[in-house]
Amino acid sequence: MIELEYVLFLSAVLFSLGLFGVLARRNAVMILLAIELMLNAVNINLVAFTVYLSPDLLVGIIFAIFIITVAAAELALALAIVLRLYRTRSSVNVDEVNLMRW
Amino acid sequence: MGMEWAWLLPAVCTGAFVVVAALGRWLPGRGSLLAIGAIGTAFVLFWFVMADVVGNGPGSFSRAWFDSGDLTVRLGMRVDKLAIVMLGLVSAVSLAVQVYSLRYMRGDPRFGWYFALHSLFAASMLALVLADNLLVFYITWELVGLGSYLLIGFWWERRSASEAAKKAFITTRIGDVALLIGILVLFKATGTFELSQIFAMAQAGEISQTTINLSTVLIFIGAAGKSAQFPFHVWLPDAMEGPTPVSALIHAATMVAAGVYLVARMAPLFVLAPGVLDLVAFIGLTTVFIGAALAMVQTDIKRILAYSTISQLGFMMLALGSLGFTAAIFHLLAHGFFKALLFLGAGSIIHAMHERQDIREMGGLRSRLPATWVAFVIAGLALAGIFPLSGFFSKDDVLFSVLDNRGVVWFAAGLIGSVLTALYVARLLYLVFLGEPRSQAAREAREAPLGMTLPVMALMAPAAGLGLLALAWGDYDGFGSFLVFLPFGSRPFEFHGAVFWPSLALAFSAFLMGLSMYRQTGGVAPALVRRRIPWLLTALDNKLYLDHVYQWTVDHVVLVGSRLVALFDRAVVNDAGVDATGRATRWSGLVLRYHETGLVSTYMLTIAVTAMVIVLIVITTG
Amino acid sequence: MSPLLAIYIVVSVMAVAGGLGTVLARNVVYASLFLLLSLLSVAGIYVLLFSPFLALVQVLIYGGAIIIVVLFALMLTRQGDETGSLDSPQKPLAAVAGLAALGVLIATIVVNKWPPSVDPEPVGFEKLGATLFTQWAVPFEIASVLLLVALIGAIVIARPEDSQ
Repeated sequence: MIELEYVLFLSAVLFSLGLFGVLARRNAVMILLAIELMLNAVNINLVAFTVYLSPDLLVGIIFAIFIITVAAAELALALAIVLRLYRTRSSVNVDEVNLMRW
Repeated sequence: MGMEWAWLLPAVCTGAFVVVAALGRWLPGRGSLLAIGAIGTAFVLFWFVMADVVGNGPGSFSRAWFDSGDLTVRLGMRVDKLAIVMLGLVSAVSLAVQVYSLRYMRGDPRFGWYFALHSLFAASMLALVLADNLLVFYITWELVGLGSYLLIGFWWERRSASEAAKKAFITTRIGDVALLIGILVLFKATGTFELSQIFAMAQAGEISQTTINLSTVLIFIGAAGKSAQFPFHVWLPDAMEGPTPVSALIHAATMVAAGVYLVARMAPLFVLAPGVLDLVAFIGLTTVFIGAALAMVQTDIKRILAYSTISQLGFMMLALGSLGFTAAIFHLLAHGFFKALLFLGAGSIIHAMHERQDIREMGGLRSRLPATWVAFVIAGLALAGIFPLSGFFSKDDVLFSVLDNRGVVWFAAGLIGSVLTALYVARLLYLVFLGEPRSQAAREAREAPLGMTLPVMALMAPAAGLGLLALAWGDYDGFGSFLVFLPFGSRPFEFHGAVFWPSLALAFSAFLMGLSMYRQTGGVAPALVRRRIPWLLTALDNKLYLDHVYQWTVDHVVLVGSRLVALFDRAVVNDAGVDATGRATRWSGLVLRYHETGLVSTYMLTIAVTAMVIVLIVITTG
Repeated sequence: MSPLLAIYIVVSVMAVAGGLGTVLARNVVYASLFLLLSLLSVAGIYVLLFSPFLALVQVLIYGGAIIIVVLFALMLTRQGDETGSLDSPQKPLAAVAGLAALGVLIATIVVNKWPPSVDPEPVGFEKLGATLFTQWAVPFEIASVLLLVALIGAIVIARPEDSQ
């Protein structure tokens, strides 16, 4: 029997890993990958809550579907921006893009 | 068509104001005809309303206006006989004056705007007399003041006109503030603005005597400001800078009567405050003398009439203070007609004299301006209180109530006031119409055109014959029974020997004496006075130095105080408050901006840490 | 220990291992392959959580589409191998933040009183489809419009300047 807490623990670990990745990387593509990891952690949570707590409503699963959709859209746009960035600056490191500062 | 439609009277005038002000320049006659049509409609409606009120008794109509917490303010009107009298006066005189203005103001560059303002004033005044609620009353009261201000300053290119408009507005504002405080004092004590509820509570003894005294004094100060009572009377003579028809309507017949109307409307409250009534009577009597004395020495025809108005308003206040509410309203009504007539006549004279207003340049106009002469004689004799003109009946009624409730001393003072009235009327009539012309303009003066003499003639009828209203005929029991103020019963007009003979004899002899005196000397002031008591004449010429006192007060009290306030504003509010805030913001911005690294990672870290802190707060507290 | 739980633990370890590889790898291609491992493991979790449809979606979209797009992007932004570290200088700080987040999340899970779980049962395709296309029809349409907009936007952004 898989308890709800086990799934939540897994999700917490994946989310923390994703957060670490977002904060620790300077390559834009790597940051995007870490973000995908975080999104997946969230999706696991949603599915677990739906399946264990309110199986009749299916809200979590439908939300997960929407999140996957939005994640796909986000990634497509983000990668387009990365391509653009690369074309103008020959680099995809976010710490070299710091014009918007004091 | 009954009295529930009385709201239409102000409504049509408001509509006319909006339309004429917005679209006047494209309308025939630049909107003047529309404005006259509106006030004419109001005048016709007045007869229907009056017929209904006389037949079926007074009525109140109101609807909820807005809610504020527990308080529901109602928008309503009270159509009773007091309101009817005022409605008739306002609509009739407004109609006459607007028709007169059609010719008088011809060629003025702001002709349409003039009529829009007249409509605004008429609408406000009609709404004011219908108000059954102190809040509505106050709003319309201020609107009336606004109309007055705009019309006094109608020729604002003239510095004196704009100064006079400001003076009138500020002086009456002082009274208005007192009135507002009085209204709020009443509201605090009763929790309502409705007049009928306030009166009911006052009669049931639910309002403390202190509150009644305080509120009535404050309300009276408001009334004194609007009705130009001493010491607020200084604005009215200056208000003569406005067009003469405006003076006839606003500064003689209607608006200045609003203060008298206010006290009469609040009569149920005032009768509970005998001390305040003493004050009202005293101020009224003082004003009678000041107005009459100053009217004796003025040389500007309009200013003479203005001081006469002040004096007559003093008579009305004297009557109010002597419990003669009906007498005061009757005098208000009669005065409204004959004083409007005098002003319109003065307008014709000024027109004929090519805008000269100094009576020293007039004289002998009787043969040049016959119609105006007749109007002036009728109105002047009515003002002097000569039988059987309207002024005689109303003034007798006033004097009788003074004798009845105040005693012989006050009565004698009132008689002296009416003697002074007769004297200055005689002076005015003699210097303007009799004797020899004293200038080229006077020799060549020509009667005003028909468009101006017609309304003058129309006003002659009520000025002469209004006294008949005082008497009983047929089903009508006389004005004393028509307009009854509780808790007093009806008091039909009678010819009291004690009032009738002395007042008539004194007024008549004073009038004849004045005529002969001026015939002998031909001067503007009686030689006797000039020789014996020159200081009095000097004092009167300087308007009893009141303007000097006020000017000194403004210079040495108000302006000094304003400078202190300005200093506080500069040092504390501006430097320590506003500027310091700005500097603090700027300084903190300079420091905090280094957080903006422009690096996505820094922002992300901040977000993550913040989110964790929030989660921690939630799980530790929740 | 039931066999289901054993499988769950294995799959979880794979997911976590994939995640670790993603955030620690020194090579971008390896990182994306590690991510693929993690995502497929998550699909396995979905299967274990009786949501086969979601598992299918996960495999198709993440495994099939997203990783491919990422690899394409990596190819297009290849800048030689000597460009220096993939990591930002605040990596130690990031480690602290990540551990703190883990602590906070676990604390939340432990502190919370979770309602009693029901016995999970498979979520049928039919039921899911019915719910998605009736109750959630409008959000579904909005999501498709969003996708379209994102697609057009991506094309516009990524298009070379000279072709404008």
